[in-house]
Amino acid sequence: MNGSDDRLPPRSRERRHFLLGMGAAAGGALAAPAALAATQANAQTQDRAGNAGTQHHVTDAPTGDASTEGRWPFYGDFQQGIITPRPAAGMIAAFDVIAKTPKDLEGLFRMLTERLAFLTQGGRPPDLDPKLPPADSGILGPVVAPDNLTATVSVGASLFDSRDWLKPLKPRHLQRMTRFRNDALDAGICHGDIAVQFCANRPDTNIHALRDVMKMMPDKLVLRWKQEGSVPVIPPRPDGRVESARNFLGFRDGSANPDAGDRALMQRILWIDGARGEPAWAERGTYQAIRIIRNFVERWDRTPLGEQERIMGRRKSSGAPFTGTTEFDAPHYAGDPHGTVTALDAHIRLANPRTTGSEKNLILRRPFNYSNGVTKSGQLEQGLLFICYQADLEAGFITVQRRLDGEPLEEYLKPIGGGYFFVLPGAREPGDYLGRTLVEAVRAGNASPT
Amino acid sequence: MRLKYLLAVTALMSTLGGTAYAQQNTTLDLVEPIAEYKIYVSEKLQQLVTDTKAFTDAIKAGNVDKAKSLFAPTRMSYEAIEPIAELFSDLDAAIDSRADDYENGEKNPEFPGFHRLEYGLWEKNSTDGLAPIADKLLADVTLLHQRITDMALPPEKVVGGAAALMEEVAATKISGEEDRYSHTDLWDFKGNFDGSEKIFILVRPLIEKNDPAFVKKVADNFNTVGTTLAKYKSGDGYQSYDKLTDDDRKVLASAVNTLAEDLATLRGKLGLN
Ligand code: HEM
Repeated sequence: MNGSDDRLPPRSRERRHFLLGMGAAAGGALAAPAALAATQANAQTQDRAGNAGTQHHVTDAPTGDASTEGRWPFYGDFQQGIITPRPAAGMIAAFDVIAKTPKDLEGLFRMLTERLAFLTQGGRPPDLDPKLPPADSGILGPVVAPDNLTATVSVGASLFDSRDWLKPLKPRHLQRMTRFRNDALDAGICHGDIAVQFCANRPDTNIHALRDVMKMMPDKLVLRWKQEGSVPVIPPRPDGRVESARNFLGFRDGSANPDAGDRALMQRILWIDGARGEPAWAERGTYQAIRIIRNFVERWDRTPLGEQERIMGRRKSSGAPFTGTTEFDAPHYAGDPHGTVTALDAHIRLANPRTTGSEKNLILRRPFNYSNGVTKSGQLEQGLLFICYQADLEAGFITVQRRLDGEPLEEYLKPIGGGYFFVLPGAREPGDYLGRTLVEAVRAGNASPT
Repeated sequence: MRLKYLLAVTALMSTLGGTAYAQQNTTLDLVEPIAEYKIYVSEKLQQLVTDTKAFTDAIKAGNVDKAKSLFAPTRMSYEAIEPIAELFSDLDAAIDSRADDYENGEKNPEFPGFHRLEYGLWEKNSTDGLAPIADKLLADVTLLHQRITDMALPPEKVVGGAAALMEEVAATKISGEEDRYSHTDLWDFKGNFDGSEKIFILVRPLIEKNDPAFVKKVADNFNTVGTTLAKYKSGDGYQSYDKLTDDDRKVLASAVNTLAEDLATLRGKLGLN
């Protein structure tokens, strides 16, 4: 904002403008002064991020934030927490919904929106008579700091399937996640009527938000399962170089992720518009695939480095593809039809063969590493809380996963949970609420696709 | 009630001359509900002793089927007054602890009480070796009756009991782990809900005026629980916990969590610490 743009690599500059634009747009739509202040504070956070020159992929390693005052705008065309840079701590909480009527569902969405708008912007919960249980768990202190919290609300197929008045409005690709060949799904950590993805700088901020929602809405939401995860913080480098965080197999994860700062690209791979045969209410939404994928880390660590790299299709230390020198160099397969450089069944080559047509299968990945304890056999129970977003679940996650079925990496993986969800369109301004277009479509009895 | 309230206030105003009276008068107003609750508890304990005698007699006579049929109904009176029984933690552990409370679970010879008998009856389908455990249970239940009869019930424990019962259900019962061998959990639920609702009904007149929305919300949730449980009635009791559908389990879980949140404010609303 002060002419310092020249110092930034071009990509960061673009991204910064994009983010500032987003903040300004949200600010323009806001009426309440408090909310406006929140948006301005947020623009500063984004400016800071932009100046550090470290953010252009959602999956770039978080650089760490000493302040807990950073805010992302809650209101906007699209929900937050998707193209927002991924912070250090993430959580998925899946709920069953108690809602018999459209009115119940509206009440649920309104209340959830109100809580999340408060939690993501921060503030002071009311002081109550000390003879009563306090209004807030207090785990963040008397004032709730926003801490870059984002909350992203999505709905599962079961929400629609078990309610006749919602059935006709189900997004066309939304379905119950079924088993892929390497899966061993545990029903206790699968599916749900609603999922909320919480992301923040600190895990306690996510836990605080979850406890708030559970305390305020016990008559509407019953917790089904939750999984927390983390991403290692890498302090900003003096040379401004950006890196992707590593997952629990020790590889950089996110290097080839589509650029979330590229609006046209995001419109193409993420956001539902009128041209996708989806119900009109679903516009500005996107599909979310969640997979809890256990990693057999002991076995992986006993695998020769060369084999690890062959299986992934990248160098472990730098994250570079075999045809490049940095992790952000694109892999080239054109001169390598037999897989002598990059194996044909390498993870990245199967996941994205980079052939004509395969750009239709692009997904935006935003995963977290998880570590849950010890298995009965005394091995570490850890892995990847895989989360990805796409405008077409079939062409996106499902197609990519089918291509990965049978990959050599499978020997080190066991998908055990997760589900498919549809991320609701954003709430545009105070007074609007998440799920409004769906509730209105129910009321209008309007189930026909656009 | 209204007249009494006014009289109490006037009496207190004249003696206390001011500020603390609001709290004092609610405590005074609680005298009658608590006296009534004491009668309720006595009746339940009386019933518990009588039923436990019949249940343990059946075990000692080696009559597995009869003992099985008496297990769940006997427990209901205990479940209804559990927060009061828990004032005596030694007896509560002796009467109602679960295998998880002991290292090595069921194999631990110290595992006592109802659930040890339940384990023998259902898992082993036998009364072998159960007689001493049955004798001990009857003795403990009788002692509990005696101890509670001799004590004055602390108002905050009585009022707090309404929420405590819901916390029990929310934390470890909704999962069906309480009566894991017999799957008679719905009988226990019924006991817990009845006990909680009883307390609510007794103090309800004290809060209805100031907080009708709260009273209605709580009453509605007790109704939801009542109608959901009623679907599973069978004869004098309830069907096996396995029969509970996923949807009904969710409805119950949500009602229990909501009741736990709301009833947690009951003490404060009545000016109790
Ligand atoms: C625990 C399981 C997984 C691990 C450890 C893992 C690891 C990696 C790594 C290290 C990369 C290379 C760096 C990068 O571009 O991010 C990568 C790329 C990728 N992965 Fe995975 N991944 C896992 C699961 C999945 C799943 C379930 C999918 C989708 C079905 C997937 C899709 C992709 C895609 C699309 C790429 C980018 C390929 C490219 O564009 O070149 N991954 N993964």
